[in-house]
Amino acid sequence: MRTSPNDPVDAVLAEGLKNLWYPICPSEFVGERPVSLRRLGRKFVFWRDQTTGKLHALEDHCPHRGAPLSMGIALGDRIACGYHGVQVRADGVVTSVPGSPGCKLEGAKATRSFHVTEAAGAIFLYNSSENVDTPPPLVLPEELTNDQEYSSFLCYTEWGGDYRYVIDNVMDPMHGTFLHKQSHSMAEGDATATFGVRETDTGFVFEKEGQRGVNFDWTEWADTGIHWMRLAIPYPKTGGPGGSFTIIGSYTPIVPNVAAVFHWRVRKLVPGWQRDTWRFLYRNRLEARHWAVLEQDRVVLELMEPDANQREILYQHDMGIVRLRRHVRKLAQAQLDEQEEKAA
Amino acid sequence: MKELYLDPHQARRRQPTPFEDLLGDSIERGYAAGIEDLAAMVAHLNRTGPNCPENEGIWTEQNFQEAMARLSA
Ligand code: FES
Ligand SMILES: [Fe+2]
Repeated sequence: MRTSPNDPVDAVLAEGLKNLWYPICPSEFVGERPVSLRRLGRKFVFWRDQTTGKLHALEDHCPHRGAPLSMGIALGDRIACGYHGVQVRADGVVTSVPGSPGCKLEGAKATRSFHVTEAAGAIFLYNSSENVDTPPPLVLPEELTNDQEYSSFLCYTEWGGDYRYVIDNVMDPMHGTFLHKQSHSMAEGDATATFGVRETDTGFVFEKEGQRGVNFDWTEWADTGIHWMRLAIPYPKTGGPGGSFTIIGSYTPIVPNVAAVFHWRVRKLVPGWQRDTWRFLYRNRLEARHWAVLEQDRVVLELMEPDANQREILYQHDMGIVRLRRHVRKLAQAQLDEQEEKAA
Repeated sequence: MKELYLDPHQARRRQPTPFEDLLGDSIERGYAAGIEDLAAMVAHLNRTGPNCPENEGIWTEQNFQEAMARLSA
């Protein structure tokens, strides 16, 4: 996506809004060895404490001269930089400067530190604008937290397109009827539909009027301290009982025009043989079918010119996109205003 | 930039066995025929196969549930 030059709001959105939780990567990407990942306009280092297994995150930038901390050695809750041995604790405080003991860098909170947590098979990071002692709780939709009623698998992918195009794609249910016509679950549905917007406590639902449970008929956008989206697609009968297949999505910028794409594929099934059987079928064959559908999205999105968003002629189906863009621009503007106030 | 992560099989930890593929086929056919309860699914498997790998080939509600619990874990 081309970010409009000289548009500070766009620049904020390109890197991702601050003071929100974002999914970063699947849990298994991070072990005891430090891992460097670019996300949200900076480079982070993630590692796990060998003894407690606790996950830590710092900016991947040594406060001494800027070597990547990820090249260093993890020592429990600290990392010793590989360049000159400066040790930085998970809260950003330098605990030791071996080359110059007692210098003023020791004891200083010199590195940006970030709160991280894990849920539903993924690592989440609180993208605070400055260091905070306690982040707000991570609030995920019930599909990902209520294990007694729902079962899910995470599908993680990285796409060569702006994360905002990924969001636009999900806020565009009508593409199911066309792009996904050749798929195991979206061959139905009218090729024309009128859409409406319905408010919720945490966001809004953009939905086809008078059509539900036929194709990809609605999308919800929500802000619970993390931005996520929800949609449901009718499952073919071969998928067994359990009703629609629900997708929870959340999207994180990696670098300009590369997005980290998280889709949790969910079914409402209580523990028991039906849930187990769905999980078996998912591993054995359904995952591959869902993958084929998701690839259809990726291919279109990656082939769109980065400046496609500068030359659009939108119509009624795109109302959800327009509304969401307006809303996040407002959030970005508020963050800019707050910054300015602080600076003044 | 490193290559982008695109792994089509994230839930599966190994290749499925031929038996698992046959079992998947059969369960899907059962569901397609409208089966929703356990007894009917077990009867369907005993009628159309594949045979249960133990118990002299006979599926029971017990061993089918155990198989699903194992294969979904
Ligand atoms: S740059 Fe890290 S210790 Fe010098
Ligand atoms: Fe799609």
